Amino acid sequence: MKAQALPAVELTRVSKNFDAVQAVRELSLTIQKGELLTLLGPSGCGKTTLLNMIAGFDVPSGGSIVIDGRDVTAVPPYRRETGMVFQSYALFPHMNVFENVAFGLRMRKMAKLGIERAVGRALEMVKLEGFASRRVGQLSGGQQQRVALARAIVIGPKVLLLDEPLSALDKNLRRAMQLELRELHERTGLTTVFVTHDQEEALGLSDRIVVMSRGEIQQVAAPLELYRSPANGFVASFIGEINRLPPARCRIEGDEAVFEIAGHVVLRARRREKLTIAEGQETHLFVRPEHLTIATSKSSAQNKVSCRVTTHLYQGAYTLTRVDAGPLGNLQLRALGGEAIAAAPIGSQIEIDIDLDEAVILAG
Amino acid sequence: MRPRPFFLWFFLPSLAAALLLVAALGEIAQYAFRVFTPGSLEVGGFTLDNFARLARPIYLSVLGDTLLISLATSLFTLLLSYPVAYAMVRAKSDFLRSLIMLLAVTPLFTGEIVRTYAWILVLGSNGFVNTVLKSAGLIGAPLGLLYTRFGVIVALVQFSMPVMIIILATALAHVDRNCERAAANLGAGPAQVFRHVTLPLTLPGVVSGTVVIFAWTMSAFSTPQLIGGGKVLMISNLVYLQGLSSFNFPFAAVLSLLALAVAMGSLGSMRPFVSRLELKAAIN
Amino acid sequence: MSARLARGLRASLFWGAVALILVYMTIPAFVVLMTSVSPSELLEFPPSGFSFRWYERAFSYPDFQNAFVNGLIVTAFASSLSLLIGSAFAYLVDRYVFAGRAALEAVLASPLIIPHFTTGFGFLLLGADLGLGQSYAVVIATHVVLTLPFVSRTVYVSLRNLDPALERAATNLGASPFEVLKRVTLPLLRPGMVGGWLLAAILSLTEFTASLYVTAQRTQTLPVAMYTYVREYTDPTIAAISALLIIFTTALMLLANRYLGLRRILAIDAH
Repeated sequence: MKAQALPAVELTRVSKNFDAVQAVRELSLTIQKGELLTLLGPSGCGKTTLLNMIAGFDVPSGGSIVIDGRDVTAVPPYRRETGMVFQSYALFPHMNVFENVAFGLRMRKMAKLGIERAVGRALEMVKLEGFASRRVGQLSGGQQQRVALARAIVIGPKVLLLDEPLSALDKNLRRAMQLELRELHERTGLTTVFVTHDQEEALGLSDRIVVMSRGEIQQVAAPLELYRSPANGFVASFIGEINRLPPARCRIEGDEAVFEIAGHVVLRARRREKLTIAEGQETHLFVRPEHLTIATSKSSAQNKVSCRVTTHLYQGAYTLTRVDAGPLGNLQLRALGGEAIAAAPIGSQIEIDIDLDEAVILAG
Repeated sequence: MRPRPFFLWFFLPSLAAALLLVAALGEIAQYAFRVFTPGSLEVGGFTLDNFARLARPIYLSVLGDTLLISLATSLFTLLLSYPVAYAMVRAKSDFLRSLIMLLAVTPLFTGEIVRTYAWILVLGSNGFVNTVLKSAGLIGAPLGLLYTRFGVIVALVQFSMPVMIIILATALAHVDRNCERAAANLGAGPAQVFRHVTLPLTLPGVVSGTVVIFAWTMSAFSTPQLIGGGKVLMISNLVYLQGLSSFNFPFAAVLSLLALAVAMGSLGSMRPFVSRLELKAAIN
Repeated sequence: MSARLARGLRASLFWGAVALILVYMTIPAFVVLMTSVSPSELLEFPPSGFSFRWYERAFSYPDFQNAFVNGLIVTAFASSLSLLIGSAFAYLVDRYVFAGRAALEAVLASPLIIPHFTTGFGFLLLGADLGLGQSYAVVIATHVVLTLPFVSRTVYVSLRNLDPALERAATNLGASPFEVLKRVTLPLLRPGMVGGWLLAAILSLTEFTASLYVTAQRTQTLPVAMYTYVREYTDPTIAAISALLIIFTTALMLLANRYLGLRRILAIDAH
């Protein structure tokens, strides 16, 4: 086997029960060397438990964990060589920045000179040169975050574990830190497992995303694929915003798929190769708000639906418009800019066009 | 988490201390059932006479006095402590809060002898109160404050207040100020806010404070001993008389057990009461 | 305008009452301080002059000298043992689940409710039956048991306020359980432990009722000696010692409040 082919972390049928609650169920996952993998899911989905099992803080009820080719299932956390950044940062308040970053190296009995050099490099990497003798209480949230990062990477961990590290930061700082995290990852090439419940953050940062729900993996995919072709209804509605149409019956007419909803609404889509739906089967259609548009009189779109405007939510770069589409229920549209507010006042009857070519179509 | 490192390190010292205490209490229980031989420290065989002796009117009246003094002390302590605790938690300035806390809590740490002696100086016939009243021309002859139940209670209340204030302040510090603001916003005046929000939310503290002080006062010794001067007897004084003056260890043991039972009983009775009150406070 | 007036009136009534109650709480201490510097043998107010003669007598009275030294010996051993055992116990309760934990907790917290004379009497009997009499060992054991609940409570509160992620972070960085304890847990518990030790020391130094039972002439502590003196003499020598104790504890409280935060030691704000 080639060295590169060796995965960084390999989880095999890992379970974790807390009393009667199954937090993680027989989960298998392979994390490749050098990738940034995100565990994404709502709170209580088992993502943090999974991270804690990799770090060794939670002992699996079943299954095995292999890090860098070595079975660590029974290895205590302090011999696992993982670097963790905690949600609360967990910086030692009785030590200064230098001592915090040096802690792991001291535990490894590294020589003093080596420690000084390594800590200096790590602080440089997170842009905190000159902060070595600061007390951690004097640092801002973003700076504390960087110290926590430096402390975790300085030991050269086999895998870097990040437990919702950005959740305590305000929105702007968060965006900046996302970019920095991604850059840091490019520079260090460290295998990284990132836990978050924020889908935007996951889409922006990750090489691959693992969507979890109720202790099980729903889908593992690259961000683009996850957004475009979610594997099931849960992933479709968890990643980004999406309109779920009422159940439809499908039939094939030439190179078109025709969907009949609530008995009489008919929507058409180009046939796709991947579509594996049989004639007459019940299907579920999921359409992103950006694929709904207000129809102009001259447009010749085929899926025109009339509806009433109920609300506008202006977001700056775009506007979310909510409409009542009768048998199709409430739908959301997303349009760039704010023209929609004047063009389709609240209460007015309009026609919208539903572009089904980009829709997610799942068998019922 | 992981298997338990150093469990015995942490466990054995605690176990040793607990065993010592259990042994000491076991000694008392053991002596309570032994025959007392006057003039000797040696005790005889098994008997229940020591318990039967409790029923004598003189001991019953001491028990009654003890309960009465404890009850009065805990109630007066509550009345005087609540405003101080409130001021201590709610005062706007940091300095004021610290000052009140120091004044209110320091007496707890000077020790009972110092505090009792101080009250002798205050209440004695040539003491502070009488001298001040006399020089103001309010009284001719000094008031007999020492050696009375009144004097004992005045001193006991002052001793008990620091503990009560700590308990009440803890309860008050945990009251969410936004609940009070919400009540005010809904039209409740300050008195109504206090009656319908603050007081119910601190009720568990009020009850546990009162019961703790009741049990505490039950075991007060130096105050009735010195300020009561033999004229006000509580169980503690009786234990001392029987144990260290008459060397009747068996009967002193019975009295100690009685005091222990009353203290534990009153605190035990509080448990369901407090949780019920908390529930009530949560519902209303 | 009248609403504002009513509010002002209510506030001044409230603060007036609080001030009066605080006067009631502190007046004994002031009377002691005044009496201690009075030259007269009889208690008198206001004092007819100023004199340190009662302080001189207090310092030269052999019983007090012995009792003071005894008290320091007992307090030093008792508070330190109490700190060790109480901290270990707090950690035990916070971190371990084992059979009999509730019983152990109940026993070690019980000195808070058991009357001191009961505890003292029990240890007197125990000491007698073990052939230890009223030796230092018995006095110290009694004081350890009596102060233990205070130390363990203070340390327990500090442990509860400790972010568990800190210990996890140290573990993750390669610290063994012993090293986590030494380098993270203990340093962070230090303020709580100092507070608990201080509490134990003051309580042991001033403990009277139980000490009356377990001490003999040879081992008696200062409060016991003071009690004996009060029963025999009426002069203000005790006022002098009391004044010193009041000044000492007040200074200690001020320092504790400044450096450790009294609220934290007393666990008033448990966030």
